[in-house]
Amino acid sequence: MFSKILIANRGEIAIRVIRACKEMGVATVAVFSEADKDALHVSLADESYCIGPGPAPKSYLNMPAIIMVAKSCGVQAIHPGYGLLSENSTFAKLCEDNGICFIGAPCEVMEKMGDKDAARRTMRDAGVPVIPGCDLVPTIEDAKREAESIGYPLLIKARAGGGGRGIRRVNKEEELAPAFQSAAAEAQSAFGDGALYMEKLLTHVKHIEMQLLCDKFGNVLCLGERDCSMQRKNQKILEESPAVCVTPELRAKLTEATIRAAKTVNYLGAGTIEYLLTDDRQFYFMEMNTRLQVEHPVTEMVTGIDLVKWQIRIASDQMLDIMQEDVNIDRHAIECRINAEDPAHGFRPSCGQISLLHVPGGPWVRFDTALYQGYTIPPFYDSMIAKLIVSARTRAEAIRKMQAALCEMVVEGVEHNAQTHIDLLNEPAFLDGTYTTDYLANRNA
Amino acid sequence: MRLISKEMFKKPNNRLEGELEPSKHVHAAVQESVAYTCPECKTALEKETLPELDYMCPRCGALFIMAARERLEWLVDEGTFHELDAALEPLDRLQFPEYAAKLKKAQRDSGEPEGVLTGTATIDGEPCALFIMNSTFIMGSMGAVVGEKITRLFEYATANGLSVIGYTVSGGARIQEGMFSLMQMAKTSGAVLRHGEAGLFYGVVLTHPTTGGVVASFAMEGDVILAEPKALIGFAGPRVIEQTMRQKLPEGFQRAEFLLDKGFIDRIVPRKDQKRELAQLLAMHRRDSTR
Repeated sequence: MFSKILIANRGEIAIRVIRACKEMGVATVAVFSEADKDALHVSLADESYCIGPGPAPKSYLNMPAIIMVAKSCGVQAIHPGYGLLSENSTFAKLCEDNGICFIGAPCEVMEKMGDKDAARRTMRDAGVPVIPGCDLVPTIEDAKREAESIGYPLLIKARAGGGGRGIRRVNKEEELAPAFQSAAAEAQSAFGDGALYMEKLLTHVKHIEMQLLCDKFGNVLCLGERDCSMQRKNQKILEESPAVCVTPELRAKLTEATIRAAKTVNYLGAGTIEYLLTDDRQFYFMEMNTRLQVEHPVTEMVTGIDLVKWQIRIASDQMLDIMQEDVNIDRHAIECRINAEDPAHGFRPSCGQISLLHVPGGPWVRFDTALYQGYTIPPFYDSMIAKLIVSARTRAEAIRKMQAALCEMVVEGVEHNAQTHIDLLNEPAFLDGTYTTDYLANRNA
Repeated sequence: MRLISKEMFKKPNNRLEGELEPSKHVHAAVQESVAYTCPECKTALEKETLPELDYMCPRCGALFIMAARERLEWLVDEGTFHELDAALEPLDRLQFPEYAAKLKKAQRDSGEPEGVLTGTATIDGEPCALFIMNSTFIMGSMGAVVGEKITRLFEYATANGLSVIGYTVSGGARIQEGMFSLMQMAKTSGAVLRHGEAGLFYGVVLTHPTTGGVVASFAMEGDVILAEPKALIGFAGPRVIEQTMRQKLPEGFQRAEFLLDKGFIDRIVPRKDQKRELAQLLAMHRRDSTR
């Protein structure tokens, strides 16, 4: 087991990882930007080092600085959290070259899955259903030709895409050329890779993802699904597990396909395979996330399995002590992402000092955050400031619990979206579980 | 300044679990039968414990209203009360508007036929004739039956050589019986006088509020006049006096403490001491023949 780990992240996920380390007796090293000198993870870790100015590219994405801290502190492993460097194969390689374990997927898998086009082909070859579409289209002419056979509407996607960037919807042929150009430009600037591919646009679909844990001994564990269909502008805002729309038969099929996919790519560690699920219960591979997800607590709350601790154990060559047969989900969990944003003004980010904080409590109520009273939220980073997660024996009870917890939560000093969640929990489409990824866009239209 | 306040927390929009309609009657019934809330400080008390507490709030000292029958049970030795004239019922001789309905309601609410209880009993072993007025019956107002029962009690006590103990609470003469109720002042005063002339003792305890025709007759005719703390005692109410005299009344005007200071009453006795003090008074005035 590692005795010292560096956490190359900030915010609630850095706190989440530090807590796991503390439980496991592992010493922790935090890195932080100049803007984060008062952040909670800096105080909570055993050692903390500043790695650059506020903007992420100069600090949290500053690979040499992070490696330097890791080397000089003598850490054995780096946990990248989610986002930032978590799916950066260059960084993983850099860790490896410096004799530091990168707690995540192997470089090759990350590369293969990070290339959305290659991932699509790999899954298709492994027999996992993929969305009808085409391989890379280098030019607009290629795109036009392929679009004919796929049919409109379709999606242009960046090979290196993620976080909803580099994606364009094309309804008819005239829109194709401008969409192609802007997607390529966006992908080039965001990921340094402008290569694009296309897929049929599936509307009225559910975003269902399956959680994986794979060890170095060939054990592959699928920990059920999460329904992440409640999205605004391609950003998940509420997740739950299990999904209402997934029947036991469908779950068995999804689990089987997911395990097959994981084995095909020799997956290692915690990962997620995302699928689109249509009205007629057909599922299609969308992408694989080779990292911990924001919404991982939902799975932890229904399975009782600590994903972060298992990431660390697997990275240090331990064997999974849980069999697929032992995974028995008889609870329901919901997560609401609490974002510092102003619902009254188009959800624009809100910064400021937390003048009052009251954290909701009670049995099976979990509040993952890096906030504390008096803390000032810096303007450089993601607007998610907390995750409120509840679980209960039934979905109905979990909804009640979430209602009560949201109503108890007090965060003053910044605008946030708790009331938006409260309203959402009351909507018929949420209550009957039929909401799809385009639900919020259509509702607000 | 409070950091956390009620307004900070939203109310969850969760319907009552497992029921279509919220049930209400159960809670109301429970409260009615076992709980009593102090009207002053809102402390919740168990109804059962009120007699032990002398019907006084253990927190703020407020005196609770006692129905005549409650006071009787609290005051006299158990099983010694023999009621007199229990069957006397009021008449609506003037056909006063709405009086019949008012009487019916008062009888239903109080469970008593009229506004005073009379009879004989012992207090700490000391025998006496006893009347207790009932504030829950048209505010203890004195109609013909109230006057008649009190008169008869004094006549009975005179004939049997008994001391009289009286508890007064009254809004005054009962307007719905007009002149008939005003006549009770003279009638009861006559009976009190004859009882006194026979050398018998009459002790009265004025409780909140004792006013009007009752004050102008038997309430103020006791050989010893006691009062409960802070009781309002007077003929006309303070507002009427203020409007008539066109001057502001002094603080505490018409309260027991004010009247004690001015020599109108003999002593203010807290509830917890009343039984003992009344028994002492009865013992001191006991006739040899009753020994």
